[in-house]
Amino acid sequence: MTSTLPVWWDGPADGPTNMAADELLAAEAARRECPVVRIYSWTRPTVSLGAFQPFAEATACAAIAGLPIVRRPSGGGAILHGTDLTYAVAVPRTHPWGGGPQALYDGMHAAMAATLAQFGIAARLHVPSLADPPADAFLCFQRRSPGDLIASPAGQAPRADDPKVMGSAQRRLGTAVVQHGSLLLTPNREVGPEARQGGLAAVDPGRSWTPRDIAEPWLNRVAAALVVSLAPQRGSFPETCPEALAERAGRFGSDDWTRRR
Amino acid sequence: MAADMRFAKTHEWIRPEAGGLATVGISAYAVEALTDLVFMQLPPVGRKVKAGESIGEIESVKAVSDLYAPVSGEIVEVNAALPNELETLGRDPYGAGWIVRIRPDDPAELAQLLDRSAYDMLVKS
Repeated sequence: MTSTLPVWWDGPADGPTNMAADELLAAEAARRECPVVRIYSWTRPTVSLGAFQPFAEATACAAIAGLPIVRRPSGGGAILHGTDLTYAVAVPRTHPWGGGPQALYDGMHAAMAATLAQFGIAARLHVPSLADPPADAFLCFQRRSPGDLIASPAGQAPRADDPKVMGSAQRRLGTAVVQHGSLLLTPNREVGPEARQGGLAAVDPGRSWTPRDIAEPWLNRVAAALVVSLAPQRGSFPETCPEALAERAGRFGSDDWTRRR
Repeated sequence: MAADMRFAKTHEWIRPEAGGLATVGISAYAVEALTDLVFMQLPPVGRKVKAGESIGEIESVKAVSDLYAPVSGEIVEVNAALPNELETLGRDPYGAGWIVRIRPDDPAELAQLLDRSAYDMLVKS
């Protein structure tokens, strides 16, 4: 194990490139034998589907018509990217956060809850209850899973219908786990209102955020929880593995993959 | 649990059967770690696989995990009912929750896997 948390501050890319980079991040974690992170964005608003969500559910959702769709290697519900902070973290299976799914999930989300508290936003890890919406809702931000990040509007006591502001999902490979996820900053105006979620703007409408405003203090908290120091990397993660990235991006961009179910 | 059952580090178990076949599943530890299972994809019968190659995927509420072939060989049967009865994996992971039957290319390959006590040490470490 090393004493740093390598992080790549990547620019925007299309869906297949981002999914390929996330999958390759797992191999990087296994090679370095330590957690690694990338923060990234999207060249245009994009819908990412869970690994086994039926493609027909996406085509039936009129609110996202016309947007590019990419299928993730991970589980969970569909996410509309473009007004969010998107991240991927990969850890070796032998790492304390790599054993079961919940440790990595809770580790990243608890650090975000502490970060948001620093900005005056009360956020908490979700504990399942009978009031939860259906577990198979099409959109990630309409679902509730243990450890999802739920936020309350300023000055209000927590309520069952408080918005989910962050969700993540994992792909567990033989030697490493990659988890990617999304903190929704503002509603995405590219989609119909029935698919539009409020994100942080719903709980703190008076403030505007950039992904980096939150990502930097968040990753410092993640590094502190791992008892390592943050180590920003030169260049972008895709630049470290162009050939493998192109091959995998081709698979994630193919109809065979996107319409696999 | 059969004494001749072996385990892969990726949490699959394999048990030799009559006729040169072997049954494969995933361990109770793995099922418990994944928690609520929602979907499973099995490989086609007749597929040739190498040890360590993905032979299927299983989705829990938030995670998708690959299932790996513990030995090289040919998939000769799959538990086709399992994807519709995923609770069986939690109830009986070493029996009714079997996943595939494989004809190993080299039965001696099984001996290179972990025995029960070695696997128990792995999951406790």
